Amino acid sequence: MTIRVAELTFLEHFAPRYGIPVPRHVSGTVSRAEIKKVLSEWGGTALVKPDVLTGKRGRAGAVVEVSTVQDALRELKRVSGLEINGHVPRTAYLVEKIPADYEIFTAITYNSSYLSPTFTVSLEGGMDIEDVVEEKKITIPVDIFRGLDAYQAGELLAELGCSQALISPLSRHMVSLWDLFISTGMISAEINPWRVTSQGNAVACDFKGIVDEANFKAKAPGIEYPDYPESISLFEEEMAAWSASSHQGQAHVSDLGGKKILPIIFGGGASTIITETLEVAGGDPMFLSDFGGNPPYERMLQSAKLCFNHKLSQAKLLLILGGKANNTYIDVTFSAIADALLSFAEEHGPLSLPVVVGRGGPRLVKGLLALKQALEYLRLPHVIFGPDTPVTLVAEYAAKLANALPAESEVKS
Amino acid sequence: MRAKTLSDFLKEGDRVAVSNITGREASRVSEQSQKYCGNIVGGWALGKSGSTIETSRGSIPVYATFEELMKQTPSESRPNKIIIYSPPQAVYGEIKEVVDHGREHIETIFVITEHVSVEVTSKLHAICSEAGIDVVGCNTLGMINVHDRVRVGAVGGDSPQETFIPGSVTILSNSGNMVNTIASYLLASGMGISYGISTGKDILILTPLKDLIFLAETDPRTKVIVLYIEPGGLYEHEAIEAIKTRGLSKPVVVYVAGKIAETYNVSLGHAGAVVEGNVTSASAKMRAFDAYFGIEAFSPDRRYKKTEQLLDVMNRGVRVTTLHHIPKAMRLICDTLGIDRDISSAKPLKLNPWFVNLGDVAKHIPHELDLARGTIPEPYAQQVKEQEQARLGISMARQSMRNASHASSNDGVTPRIHGYSLMDVMAKKSFVASLVLSLTGELPRDEFEEHLAQMTFIASLTNGPGTISAQGAKLSCSAGNSPNTAIIATLAAMGSVHGGNGSQAVKFLLDVFAETGIEDPYDSSVDVKDLAQKAAEEFKRKKLAAKEASLDYARIPCLGHPIFKKDPVNHDPREQVIHAFITSQGKCNIFLEFYHALVEALKENGTTNTVMAVNVDAALACVWLGICWRHLREKRMTIQRAMDIPFIVFALGRAAGGAAEFLDHQDFGTTMDMRIPTSECRSLTRSRSL
Repeated sequence: MTIRVAELTFLEHFAPRYGIPVPRHVSGTVSRAEIKKVLSEWGGTALVKPDVLTGKRGRAGAVVEVSTVQDALRELKRVSGLEINGHVPRTAYLVEKIPADYEIFTAITYNSSYLSPTFTVSLEGGMDIEDVVEEKKITIPVDIFRGLDAYQAGELLAELGCSQALISPLSRHMVSLWDLFISTGMISAEINPWRVTSQGNAVACDFKGIVDEANFKAKAPGIEYPDYPESISLFEEEMAAWSASSHQGQAHVSDLGGKKILPIIFGGGASTIITETLEVAGGDPMFLSDFGGNPPYERMLQSAKLCFNHKLSQAKLLLILGGKANNTYIDVTFSAIADALLSFAEEHGPLSLPVVVGRGGPRLVKGLLALKQALEYLRLPHVIFGPDTPVTLVAEYAAKLANALPAESEVKS
Repeated sequence: MRAKTLSDFLKEGDRVAVSNITGREASRVSEQSQKYCGNIVGGWALGKSGSTIETSRGSIPVYATFEELMKQTPSESRPNKIIIYSPPQAVYGEIKEVVDHGREHIETIFVITEHVSVEVTSKLHAICSEAGIDVVGCNTLGMINVHDRVRVGAVGGDSPQETFIPGSVTILSNSGNMVNTIASYLLASGMGISYGISTGKDILILTPLKDLIFLAETDPRTKVIVLYIEPGGLYEHEAIEAIKTRGLSKPVVVYVAGKIAETYNVSLGHAGAVVEGNVTSASAKMRAFDAYFGIEAFSPDRRYKKTEQLLDVMNRGVRVTTLHHIPKAMRLICDTLGIDRDISSAKPLKLNPWFVNLGDVAKHIPHELDLARGTIPEPYAQQVKEQEQARLGISMARQSMRNASHASSNDGVTPRIHGYSLMDVMAKKSFVASLVLSLTGELPRDEFEEHLAQMTFIASLTNGPGTISAQGAKLSCSAGNSPNTAIIATLAAMGSVHGGNGSQAVKFLLDVFAETGIEDPYDSSVDVKDLAQKAAEEFKRKKLAAKEASLDYARIPCLGHPIFKKDPVNHDPREQVIHAFITSQGKCNIFLEFYHALVEALKENGTTNTVMAVNVDAALACVWLGICWRHLREKRMTIQRAMDIPFIVFALGRAAGGAAEFLDHQDFGTTMDMRIPTSECRSLTRSRSL
């Protein structure tokens, strides 16, 4: 739904395109000789930074000042392999260190109070904007059609007490930031900090952005957003690829690392509350899922097959649960799940886990009976609820049942 | 915001126009909405001008564009509400057209479309607020005004009247589905609904909570507000700030979802549930509401004493931690504040399983988790009945059975019958119970069934040495064969008319009973006389028609007996024993009762001169159909198996009987004694020469 943009993409693509002044930089893969050359050109010191989708890199010890070629090479290698706040860098790069008298924060982001983009500026740059006291930051709404103009930006800077010499160039940079924001379909674009040199030049020294994939401008020509190594499981990856292959019906999963309940859940809202109820009741759900949005048969069949192939053999209980659907045809989705279960059993041998089902919506009875028939054929213990039993009660029951089940060896004996 | 109260969004008499009305979802929901309230006056879809959407309240005209719709619709029926179902790329253009050509008429636009970009959403807000048009969405499910019985979008699904009973609660929800869910939960507290609004949960919600909550405040029908909140956005913080300034006279029950997003680094189902900063997270919203209410989240286990303090708190409301606590929290609020219930017959929320079959698992779990089947409410019960009747028995999925079996297994340690350890069955069960298990896959339900099964085996053992099957054993023995060959000869001397008639009886009974939906075959309250009379009339009609045409006709299986046929009322003594046993247990077998009623009815309608005997084959069929009935109804058995079992039971019993004849004949008979002397044989052909 969104693409996150880090500093290196900004340095390589956006800053030159929108004329935003940035420090000189080279990729971490350049030759030894090149590093030696840039170090001397940049005044003997440089910063090694990781290209990673998380902020607070400095605090995590991932931004390192270097002054020799050996240090630079060593740190580039070290930093690129460092896990930072759970994220793994794509690469590391070398950037010129900008000496500064002070730092400025700027951001353009959609704001739920104004229902429009807003521009925020503070002369207390370099720190989290939440930590800056209210008097030292200003947020104004920006007209979505007219955009941010230099005059507006200049007024704000003056109000905050920015030095006169800096207001004019910095205001022009703010207009460039707006151009970047609006023409790439971003939800937010933050430059923090601008480092202001003693000569009065402002240089954009870090960038964070989020691109709205629903916006056609996200496919701006000439920019390919890099893939970052993600700590997603094969299951999530396969489901995401399957989800992207069609817009009909949801097919969303997020691994939760649970070991008991395999939950096939319908509806974005239901998905959250059911999973939360499972958590609270000790159901230890394997993943968060949403298969709502009236998926056609083939869509649901493949989604269910992916879930079963990855998780069913480890699950203690299968939960198929959704509220009373408005649009989703229950016979279509439940026949697909039933067929996925049958073909799983054909391939992998008999199953024995209990199945708890709860659902409501159009063509419910036909769907429930189709699923029931498959469960009976597979001789799977089951409890099936209709829409008169609240989904959260069903989830709570499933969690209790999963916890009450004896270990498999006990059942066999 | 243009609306001054909730009904300004939607009320009786509003006229709705639908964009992209010919789309899959739009056309279906429009059809359902017309059935519920009939407020749609037209729709538009490029390239579909001139077509119509057919509904139970007539056709909805389709125009190419909104402009065309406005031009061609008479002024009195021009729309004042719009629903947008267009694809995300078209949403801005559609709404721009609505604003350009409908500015004077249109009051509210509901944007159902998902995945509208944030930029477009913000632009919609800009152009519509400038034009004085309210926008609900994007990604809303719609809204319902229950007292006026009108809705837009799919709130309430295909039958909104089931869940949305007029009442005094307004539901404001970030999730569309939760509007329905909460409405159905609230019925349990005796509360109905005044309005249900799905706000959508994109990053920008164009009807912010701070506005909606005050529209609910000014609504005379609303006494309590229920909120379903997801993470993301400053909407709730602003709403609480506004309430603190302006005051709110109506209590609020709130559920905040999405804490899981903080525990695990996961994205939630809804687009807007993106947490930016620490004020927009689920836990921050929970804290903010708790602080406003002045009480920690509702706990069903806590005893709330009716004090001044509680009264003060409940005037503001309370947060719940689980959705199914809403009815209880609602009861607390209503009781504390003296708010009348909307509905008198409130049923508490409980687990009501429609179908349960926990099998062996039931033995290993605590009693309270071993649920009994509940009552399926209407209209579902009727649908289940109809669809189950249509499908008695099951068709099994086929596979290669070369090295596979359900009937038996042996893992090298334990031989099993349908999963049960053979040794356990040996130690704890009777022989006949093990046969029932082998044939049906399940042990007998109770001693009654077990005893009945046993009687059928005994009844099958023999009917004298003259029966064809006994003759088979004797012939084989007489020829000097070994015991197994004699048993084979017994079995070989059976067929569709000797032994196999029971299968035909099962088929006949299934034809009669399949449509009745009877659950318990031992239910004496079932009126079988009516069924018997119908079957007798049907048989009479067929018999007469066949005779007129000089054709043979299919007899009713298992009626009459070669020996017991001379009396006005005839009985097969073996059948009588089974029947007497059933009666002595204070039970009845509806199939056997039906057979008895049938022979009477056949006599009454003149088809037969005497009351024919219900023979032992019928009794066998009736007993075993009784045992198989629940398996057939629960789709655990094929019709074919139910038909084959009575024949198999007869064959097994008679095979033992044949063995007895063999042993007897071997001990006392002389070789070749079964041979019929040539003097006793008649030739039916005249001698011919080559």
